[in-house]
Amino acid sequence: MNETHSLLEPFPQKEPIPASKQEGEAAEPVRIFRWRTLLQLDVASADWDILVLSTCLKLLLFPAYRSTDFEVHRNWLAITHSLPISRWYYDTTSEWTLDYPPFFAYFEKLLSIPAYFIDSKIVDLQNLNYDAWSVVVYQRITVIVTELVLAIVLQRFIREAADPSVQRIISVSLFLHPGLLIVDHIHFQYNGFMFGILLWSILMARNGNKLASGFLFAILLNFKHIYMYLAPAYFVYLLRSFCLSPTGALQPTKFLSLANAVIIVFLASLGPFILMGQLPQLLSRLFPFTRGLNHAYWAPNAWALVTAADRVLLKVAQRFGIEVLAINEAGVASTSRGLVGDTVFAVIPNVKPIHTFIITIVFQAIFLTKLWRLPSYKSFVTALTLCGYTSFMFGWHVHEKAILLVLVPLSLLAAENNAFFRTFMIASVADRLLHPLGSLGLRTTTEESV
Amino acid sequence: MDELNTAFSAEGSTARRRTHARNRSFVSQNSSQSVTQHTRPRLKTPSLRHRTSTPDSLRSTFSQSDIISPIPRRHHHLQAHESRLWLDTPPLSPTSTRAGSPGSTRGVTPLSLRPRHTLSFSSIAEHDPSRSHHVAHDKKSEDSMARRWVRWMHKHGIKNYVIPAAVLGAALIKWCIGLGSYSGQGTPPMYGDYEAQRHWMELTLHLPVKQWYSYDLEYWGLDYPPLTAYVSWLCGVIGNWINPAWVALDKSRGIESPESKAFMRTTVLAFDTLVYIPAIVLFTRVWQESRSTRTQHVALLTLLFQPALLLIDFGHFQYNSVMLGFTLLALNFFASGQDLLGAVCFSLGLGFKQMALYYAPAIGSYLVAKCIYLGPQKGRSLFIRLALVTILTFLLLFLPFLPPLAPLSAILDPIARIFPFARGLFEDKVANFWCASNVVFKWKVWLSRPQLVKMSAILTAVGFFPGVVTLLYGGWKHRMLSEADDKSRAKDSPSSSTPEPLLPLLPYALLNSSMSFFLFSFQVHEKTILVPLLPLTFLLSGSSSGSETFELGVLVNNVAVFSMWPLLKRDGLAIPYIATLVLWNRLVGYNPLRLNSQSFLRYLSLAIYTAMVSLHILELLISPPARFPDLFPVLNVLISTPIFALTWLWSIKRGVEVSWALGGLGPSSTPAKSSQPALSTLRPMLAERKPTLDRLTVNGLDGVPEENFNLTLDKDFIPNARQLKTRSLGFARGAKVLQRTASAELPG
Repeated sequence: MNETHSLLEPFPQKEPIPASKQEGEAAEPVRIFRWRTLLQLDVASADWDILVLSTCLKLLLFPAYRSTDFEVHRNWLAITHSLPISRWYYDTTSEWTLDYPPFFAYFEKLLSIPAYFIDSKIVDLQNLNYDAWSVVVYQRITVIVTELVLAIVLQRFIREAADPSVQRIISVSLFLHPGLLIVDHIHFQYNGFMFGILLWSILMARNGNKLASGFLFAILLNFKHIYMYLAPAYFVYLLRSFCLSPTGALQPTKFLSLANAVIIVFLASLGPFILMGQLPQLLSRLFPFTRGLNHAYWAPNAWALVTAADRVLLKVAQRFGIEVLAINEAGVASTSRGLVGDTVFAVIPNVKPIHTFIITIVFQAIFLTKLWRLPSYKSFVTALTLCGYTSFMFGWHVHEKAILLVLVPLSLLAAENNAFFRTFMIASVADRLLHPLGSLGLRTTTEESV
Repeated sequence: MDELNTAFSAEGSTARRRTHARNRSFVSQNSSQSVTQHTRPRLKTPSLRHRTSTPDSLRSTFSQSDIISPIPRRHHHLQAHESRLWLDTPPLSPTSTRAGSPGSTRGVTPLSLRPRHTLSFSSIAEHDPSRSHHVAHDKKSEDSMARRWVRWMHKHGIKNYVIPAAVLGAALIKWCIGLGSYSGQGTPPMYGDYEAQRHWMELTLHLPVKQWYSYDLEYWGLDYPPLTAYVSWLCGVIGNWINPAWVALDKSRGIESPESKAFMRTTVLAFDTLVYIPAIVLFTRVWQESRSTRTQHVALLTLLFQPALLLIDFGHFQYNSVMLGFTLLALNFFASGQDLLGAVCFSLGLGFKQMALYYAPAIGSYLVAKCIYLGPQKGRSLFIRLALVTILTFLLLFLPFLPPLAPLSAILDPIARIFPFARGLFEDKVANFWCASNVVFKWKVWLSRPQLVKMSAILTAVGFFPGVVTLLYGGWKHRMLSEADDKSRAKDSPSSSTPEPLLPLLPYALLNSSMSFFLFSFQVHEKTILVPLLPLTFLLSGSSSGSETFELGVLVNNVAVFSMWPLLKRDGLAIPYIATLVLWNRLVGYNPLRLNSQSFLRYLSLAIYTAMVSLHILELLISPPARFPDLFPVLNVLISTPIFALTWLWSIKRGVEVSWALGGLGPSSTPAKSSQPALSTLRPMLAERKPTLDRLTVNGLDGVPEENFNLTLDKDFIPNARQLKTRSLGFARGAKVLQRTASAELPG
């Protein structure tokens, strides 16, 4: 794309400002800045700038609109603080029950401790829809602080990139991504933190530390299970490139160490609930298949098209009285008018969760075979992106926010070549999607990438 | 490059083209060795990071090339009219990575000839040891976020987007501040400034003009001059068109719907964008005409994100930027010699908000001084025109209240409302002389109101007297100089189109008069600190990091925001308060904790910051004792007032200094007369400077930049310069350095 070229052209000689060089520069005025050099974390000034700028912007967003997710998280703080662990996944005081995996519950427990000292009403379970200034500031600050994980990892990406200046643009555009800002700092969620862990895991994979990569991804899964969308790529990649030798022979020590790492993570997360015999209850909270095919905020995915086609066919059938098409009376009512109601088609046969799984896996298999054949870092990241896309397109009850899941690994590819860069630009536009309007942007993106 | 370059191009273009071609191959050869270059710390001059060369390639270039001429580089002193020198010009950015423009051979000039850091001539002449030390090793800390960003934009060829991006970014920040609460939110029955402004919209929309200044004065009666009323009317019309409920007469009092808030915030943003932003963009173009685009852009960012204005206009809710914008526009017109337009703009500012009166002594005396300077004939005609234009503007502004349209007595209503002497000496707690000294002297007990009014008027007049005097004296002195000059040269007296010799004095006079009003006048509000902040920030935006102006400018800006803390706290703007302060300090590259220069100002600011932070912590931890409910605001006043008083004194000091500098330079300093310098005057100057150059060059490669060498060459001097064989001189110097480099680099 032209923009990339114009960005790069003036300096054909890449400018590797290696960390060591900057250290050297910083070390020079040691006489005066000794205490500062000690504190200096080898972060370029430009990166500090971005951090300061973004933090100030996020601070200013404190009074902005908050979605129900804000109350959801406040309620979780209350649940984890005032109830024993055995009641966490059973509590129904609020309609916003705990439906994230245990690590996230532990995380909320951790956050609830200072919250209690700041304002004990925050963690009062009965105090529904509490929105005093204290709770707003506290929760917003926790988002900003936990997002530092993302900042640190992105900074590592810059420092270790072949071309730091391009990687910096990518990193910054991810860190200041309007989608992330809207979802985390206005709408309210902890995606920045989660993506930080995801990118950390990817960074580990890039550096060849695949055990750590798998370990981190297991942790991430136990924070938020939406990342299961990416699991197939991880599974194939780690199995092929870490557990098997290039010739295809199983390497038992590696395999066992990876398996143990993952099992330990899951035990730490799910262990207490398994002991209490609450696993089925927990899983029913995590995977609510009673919810519909489409989320209340339709994700512009394949099912949205199918649903739309169904409405059209229904009109056609009604107008021409075509008897061939058996009209499902329940579906005539309306599709997805309620918040999280089930979707029933009027004309097209109904879609069950299992169907979406099969379709998703079939599509994923295409590029996972490629990953199996060539388990390089690059094809791994590509596979991650495509996994995200496929799941987004064909998954069950996909929320439109899930597009961010695609954006993050894609951003890593953006530095690689123009086609990816272009896709990233278009996909970034897809944050428009967070307003239920611009579905067009995404469809273009998807076509381009598949 | 600049005119110098084009002047040389006639004879130099072919040679340059040849070098340029060589340059290409040189660069490509160079790139293959780019790995090695980073291991060589000597070659790390930032200005050449992309073009550094290894000794091999360096030597090979020299074996080919015959002439390494010093390419005339733009120097701000060369282009500046001397009247602009006051701007306290910094050295060219020591870390500039600006690439040479296509026509220049700058890219090939061997590294060793390049200045390691670029001291301007003025800084050498000043012999300021502290300063030159800093330049050497303080490159990183001297950089500001604004400068880094602007440099990045320029480097990537998107410098045309700097201004739009900065303005849009500022708009985003402003809008985000606007998400928060405003003055008087949710505090019936009176609410606050927000409700006042909104009330004026309904009032002007629904009532005939003659009732504007008399309708229900108890509930936020209109007390700003007519332009505010007209603007309110315009907003009212638009608001009424969108949703009549927002501006329904009496029924809409205290309306606080999100939509109406969004509408109100939009009006502030719109007027800010219409008046203030063009004014500051023009300001950077006009007042800093002689500076690089980068510096102009950095100055723009400094002004755009000034925290005090952002917080008051977009948080607290007011339209100060309109008044300040008009004043800035007036200054821009003065700087470009269009005094009449300037007078109109300033009158508009006055007609928008009477606080512009704080500037009036300075602006008035500037214009009078200019009339004096222009001489009896032209000066008188200018004076009459100025008077006519000003009176006409005010007549137009007050037209609806004047005889043909209204009885003569109608004018009394707005006047009585605009100048409220009936109110107290000060409102709330404001960091000025009266409030601070009130801790000890109970003024209100000792003196009656008329006495107080009289006293404050006298003190204020004494306060702005120095600024007025320096301006008038400057005008008179320049008149004397030009008269003396006229006699000797028999030339015309200066026309009004010549550069303004008095201009450098104006910002200091503005600061002086507005600060004295703030400190000593009657009925001052804490928000009024915005008025003195404008000339100060304006000076700050042109100053280099680390200079006195910079230090004081940032300190006063921070203290000003701090002095408004009680107000902001009441408005629920604590978080924007922190965010904007942090952002702006980072933007201008100011670290309150840095103690690299051992100046008094540094220690003072450190003490002040410590006091500020401790006060905030105290306020957070303990509640004030029942006996002193106003303990914290009073402490706040006591911390802030000394700084404002210091700024007032500093403005006098600087005013006198600049005045001396302007008058003391002798007749030849007047730019109109320096067009034909004699060669004989140039030669000794060069001769005088050359030893310095040589010494510095020999002493080390950190020596003197070429442009210092070119300093004496005004663009008008070029034929002379050629005669002086500057280029061969440069070659001699280059060869000398080359020898040194080569011998140092080669083993053995």
